[in-house]
Amino acid sequence: MRGRVPDRLTYLLEQKEKGRAVFGVFPALCPKEMLWAMGVVPAEIWDPPLELVKVNSHLQPYICSVVRSGMELVLQGKSDFLDGFLFPHTCDSIQNMASVIKDCMGPEKPCYFFYLPKAPYTEAARTYYLTKLQELAGSLEKQLGGFDQERLGECVRLSNRISSLIEKLYAMRAKGRLRGTSRSFYQLLRKGEHLMPEDLIPLLEQYLTQNTLSEPKGSSGVIFSGILPNPLELLDVLDQLGTRVVHDDLLNCGRRLLAPKMDTTIGPLEALAERYFHLPPCPTKGSGVQERLDFLLDLVKKTDAKGIIFNMVKFCEPEWFDLPFIQKGLKDHGVPTLVLDMEINQDLSAQMITRVEAFLELIS
Amino acid sequence: MGSKAISIGIDVGSITVKAAAMENGQLIATLVANTGYNPQEAAERIYQELLLKSGARESQVCGIIATGYGRRNVAFAQRVVTEITCHGKGANFQFPGVRTVIDIGGQDSKAISLDGNGRVQDFAMNDKCAAGTGRFMEVMAKALEVDLDLFGKIALQAPSPCAISSLCTVFAESEVISLIAKGESRENIIAGIHEAIGARVAAMAERIPIEEPLLMTGGVAKNQGVLQALKRKLGIEIMVPEYPQENGAIGAAILAAEME
Repeated sequence: MRGRVPDRLTYLLEQKEKGRAVFGVFPALCPKEMLWAMGVVPAEIWDPPLELVKVNSHLQPYICSVVRSGMELVLQGKSDFLDGFLFPHTCDSIQNMASVIKDCMGPEKPCYFFYLPKAPYTEAARTYYLTKLQELAGSLEKQLGGFDQERLGECVRLSNRISSLIEKLYAMRAKGRLRGTSRSFYQLLRKGEHLMPEDLIPLLEQYLTQNTLSEPKGSSGVIFSGILPNPLELLDVLDQLGTRVVHDDLLNCGRRLLAPKMDTTIGPLEALAERYFHLPPCPTKGSGVQERLDFLLDLVKKTDAKGIIFNMVKFCEPEWFDLPFIQKGLKDHGVPTLVLDMEINQDLSAQMITRVEAFLELIS
Repeated sequence: MGSKAISIGIDVGSITVKAAAMENGQLIATLVANTGYNPQEAAERIYQELLLKSGARESQVCGIIATGYGRRNVAFAQRVVTEITCHGKGANFQFPGVRTVIDIGGQDSKAISLDGNGRVQDFAMNDKCAAGTGRFMEVMAKALEVDLDLFGKIALQAPSPCAISSLCTVFAESEVISLIAKGESRENIIAGIHEAIGARVAAMAERIPIEEPLLMTGGVAKNQGVLQALKRKLGIEIMVPEYPQENGAIGAAILAAEME
């Protein structure tokens, strides 16, 4: 794979030719290691760049664009080559879309629903999550054949290697010791949405080797919060204005990629379960406002960030519910914030650029 | 460079281009012109006219800052700064100690919270549609066949303002046409439009801390109908500076002087 990265669709079709199954996986958290272990390539569906046409007959316009564009992908038949779908219970909109898609696809296309416990996490939540993992393993086994615990253990170790590399990338970036643009950083991370570990790990290693600086390059920085690092033009504007993204609190990135290492001395299912309870706080997991606020304030302190940009997806209920409380909490601690609200594939307007520039002038 | 050191601010807005010249901390000239199709040419033209008006030579200009939506079209500016920062500076120059600025321009409206020294602390911006902007008023005035300059005055004469429920410019225009068809008086419709703008802008402004003194800037600040509606919605006194439309350009000229 080193030096040759096919586009996403080509890669997925190549994987099918190799005899692997390809599943469409909707946001946000799922035990991908379990799919890898069963020879399934998880292809995450976050923001397919499609004109929304067919979905308008099925979903109201005030549903978030992550859900609307994901469903459009299915309705346009662009996901017909997939061998199944996995829907984690991230929010009510994804949950409801899952039932509509299941109806659209018919019984011959396997659709798996994966329920996650919400905070606060009790012992019962741990038992519940472990049960859900076992149930998913059982369901996948029926479609795909034998479930091998040893193979899952290997995938847990590969996942740990990925987490370790991503943690290093974030740490180097926070210290200003990573060359390259914010665009290239997030483009790299997002390859993990469809690449298998054996193809992703060399890319991460290569990026680190080629872009690590011996001395930090100094420039002020901001933290990015929200769902996705979209649009990439927004990151370009920040780069052009000399402002680094020093860390993120994005559902698509930091909140799930900065996963603690899994314990390889216990059973792999238990290790997967334990990781979930140690991920950074997230409203889709039901994390409390204070927990999120403490987390963000800690990030600001550790990275010396000058402010936080909340890059919100319109109509994303979990994110918007907490935002006013979090903004107030940050303001009380002297942390400036900017809220941008966009559709996931919306172009960056001149007014939006003005808001970003004005915010950077404010924090400079 | 000659004996004088003049700083220039040029604010390229969607409808008008504004320019201001400062010398030794004093405002010496301002100008307003239509932006037209080519913002670059409009900026160049107003710059030359401003030099003539202020009696200055180009060699005496120590700094030029461009602001406004077309700020990047001003090739001869040394720096670009957003209109939010410039309005803060300009407002503090025209009204020292001002804490809040509401600026209603041609294509957007903004509320800016200041620290008392012209430095921006927070801001909110309506940038999704033309509702609550100068463009909205232009469309409504056209639908009602009223000169835009008389729009605000007529609003103040209305005995019973209509309720305009749509905030979208397109739908509001349809609503206005329906009201005309129902035989509603022009004064009442116009007053209803102004109330709707006041409500829209007040809702946006309440996203930031609103502290007095509050200054209203932008071309729409000259409209008494909007001003009075906004005062009623916010329940506080609103001041209008001597140069509301040129406020951003004045702020840019001040920043250009500081750039020395």
